[in-house]
Amino acid sequence: MSAASGQDEYWRQAAAEYGPAMERLAWAYEADPDLRRDLIQEIHLALWRSLENFDARCSLRTWTYRVAHNVATSHVIRQKKRRALVFLTLEEIEAQPAPQNVEESADRQQARARVLALVQGLEFLDRQLMLAYLEGLDAESMSQITGLSAANVWTKIHRIKNVLVRQFHSGGSDAQ
Amino acid sequence: MRSDYLPDDLRRLWQELALNPVQVSADDLRREASKLRARLSLRNWFVAGVCCVIIAAYGFFFFRSKTALERIGSALSIAGAANVIVQFLKRPARTMPSASAMESIRFYRAELERHRDFHRGKGIASWLLPGLPGPIIFNIAFALDRPIFAPIVGLQLAAFLMIAALVVPLNLRMARKYQRRIDALDAWR
Repeated sequence: MSAASGQDEYWRQAAAEYGPAMERLAWAYEADPDLRRDLIQEIHLALWRSLENFDARCSLRTWTYRVAHNVATSHVIRQKKRRALVFLTLEEIEAQPAPQNVEESADRQQARARVLALVQGLEFLDRQLMLAYLEGLDAESMSQITGLSAANVWTKIHRIKNVLVRQFHSGGSDAQ
Repeated sequence: MRSDYLPDDLRRLWQELALNPVQVSADDLRREASKLRARLSLRNWFVAGVCCVIIAAYGFFFFRSKTALERIGSALSIAGAANVIVQFLKRPARTMPSASAMESIRFYRAELERHRDFHRGKGIASWLLPGLPGPIIFNIAFALDRPIFAPIVGLQLAAFLMIAALVVPLNLRMARKYQRRIDALDAWR
């Protein structure tokens, strides 16, 4: 297999298996539809280029997530320079007022939109970890992607998750 | 009910997000990569072209100037423009999306450092600063030899100093902002 066809083959495999996860990642990082489309294309391009050097020392999944997160990182830093984006710390999220139409969110679609809004509002690094968690990655994979220790990953995930769940449920339980 | 959604449901909710996947093929990516490479190459040639015009203009003044100070200014300007070409070709600014598969936190820190250093003028200093003394000396020499142009040259220098007085502190402020984010990241880890 030539280097170019190997690169194409790896990219096809990554796009097929992790394409939806990359799209969700782009949703979490970019709310503007046009910019999000650009970001997704940028992720694919960067991934395709990077796979020229893929040596299978880590799994294709870890490699793909690293590249996707890194492209999104550059995108966020670049966009932050151009326009003010609202990213909230966990404390700020907890202090956010719950929406009035709490019961309406019984609708699953609204619940999904709410999860997305909560993830989009997370501070950058918390969001990176939460995304990996929501995609179903284990602590070892998250550790390989981020460079944090597995124990540190779980401590942080636990904290972020608790805040998100409390925020997600807040208002609902108060109203009952 | 919202309270029915437990952490595992959050995962499911997330993974259910309705998406319209962007359709791209390896050939599309290859085409896009060559387009970006072509754009980068065009930009490099443009900068090199502008610098060549500057070199030609100051080369002309070097041979036609009447005073030694003007010749010194011309020679320094030529050297400054040549330095820009060398620096630009040696380390072109990034236009291709980053293809790094580095651990994401390390990558984030490296990006913050890159932006901090940019605002501290690390890159610009090596490009522009060596190019500044030449035109300044040349303009002063030009004004000394032709007093009629002295007010214009004086205005130019004053404008330059005013812009520098605004731009430098603003950039240093941005650099401090990035440093604070680096410190926060280190504390977060």
